[in-house]
Amino acid sequence: MIEIRHLDKYYGSHHVLKDINLKIEKGEVVVIIGPSGSGKSTLLRCMNYLEPIQSGQIRIEDQPIGMIEHKGRQQEMPQKALNKMREKVGMVFQNFNLFPHLSVRDNITLSPLTLGKMDKKEAKETALSLLAKVGLADRAAAFPDQLSGGQKQRVAIARALAMKPHVMLFDEPTSALDPELIGEVLDAMKELAKEGMTMVVVTHEMGFAREMADRVVVMDQGQIIEIGSPDVIFKNPAQERTKVFLHKVLTHS
Amino acid sequence: MTLDFGVLMQDGNLPLLLQGLWVTIRMTFLALILSCFIGLVVGLGGMSKGKIISSLSAVYLAWFRGTPLLVQLMLLYYGLAISLNIDFSASVAGVLGLGMYSGAYVSEIVRGAIQSIDRGQMEAGRSLGLSHWQTMFKVILPQAVRRMLPPLANEFIALTKNSSLLSAITVAELMRAANTIVADNYRYFEIYLTIAIFYFVVNFIISTLIRILERKLNVEGARS
Repeated sequence: MIEIRHLDKYYGSHHVLKDINLKIEKGEVVVIIGPSGSGKSTLLRCMNYLEPIQSGQIRIEDQPIGMIEHKGRQQEMPQKALNKMREKVGMVFQNFNLFPHLSVRDNITLSPLTLGKMDKKEAKETALSLLAKVGLADRAAAFPDQLSGGQKQRVAIARALAMKPHVMLFDEPTSALDPELIGEVLDAMKELAKEGMTMVVVTHEMGFAREMADRVVVMDQGQIIEIGSPDVIFKNPAQERTKVFLHKVLTHS
Repeated sequence: MTLDFGVLMQDGNLPLLLQGLWVTIRMTFLALILSCFIGLVVGLGGMSKGKIISSLSAVYLAWFRGTPLLVQLMLLYYGLAISLNIDFSASVAGVLGLGMYSGAYVSEIVRGAIQSIDRGQMEAGRSLGLSHWQTMFKVILPQAVRRMLPPLANEFIALTKNSSLLSAITVAELMRAANTIVADNYRYFEIYLTIAIFYFVVNFIISTLIRILERKLNVEGARS
């Protein structure tokens, strides 16, 4: 489903992602954890090419996204092709990034309507059924600033799903939420995982990782240092750095 | 000499001033539309990744902001006609001159408002498969317009006042009408105070309209 090969990314001279190799299968839930600054969000953002990369390859469903080979040289793919690829990849942001000037329903229907994926009636119905799915059927007419953080994030999930993505990326979806609102967002994500959605999740919620992840990817200093089942990672990690990190986050939760 | 506003009623002075006011309003309104259009194009151009487009926008801004409007009007109306045989009528030169000058300032207002919108909005649009321009027109600009309104009110008021310079290129607007009258009767204070009040009223209406528009947009949408 997603295949990343020898990905390198720099911010100026700062080497933020170092030779990343990762393969994610269809239907898999992969959780990426690691200390802040380890590059996990950056890696996730590379997967739909919100972040340009300097070398390497990212393929989604066996098609390249972002960089393509052209006459033996790596170059950025045409914008139209990139937009097309991004339709397959839903993304949920830490800060929700809902469109504040649009109602909840219009947030969801904007993209399918603008891109001619659905007619008005179908888009409306899709929005309502997605809202029902995340437990917000009654808030279709509300504006984002009338919602709690947890509700905003659930709308953001519904908005991403409206494009019928084949994979969903979650970039610290609960980090901006008050503690009592985290559960409702995680529940919506669990629901999605149970339906078989391919998901890549960057999170500090170790409970979610333990319960839902098929595999856990541990990153540190721009590298993947360990990949394994939640059982192995949380109970018997191979790397000392994984132990140190988990010790720090788990002793306080 | 005592003040005598009775002069307004003599020699068809008031109708002449009102005619001038109408020309001022018309010229200002047309220039305002041109200025918004230029402002949008130059403002977006200034943020373009394309080197040629962004340099053109920068040159436009530097030139029209960096030279006096009166000089620009002279170049446009007399300069072009005499040296290049491009002969605009006074009104066309006036609207073009005012609009191009004001457009430079509006472009900075547009750019500032767009750049003040959170980067996450563009990312969200792009992640949904929308193109850069689709996101710009459906997501960024509708939010940016709200932030443009207060500085745009300033700019439109300045535009109205600057239209008085069109008297220098023979446009029969309010200032020129006043000049014509005082050349005849020397009633400087009465006549100029009258047109000052006319300008004031026009600007008061502009600022009120924009404030109403601001409030309306805020009620309709979110306030973030």
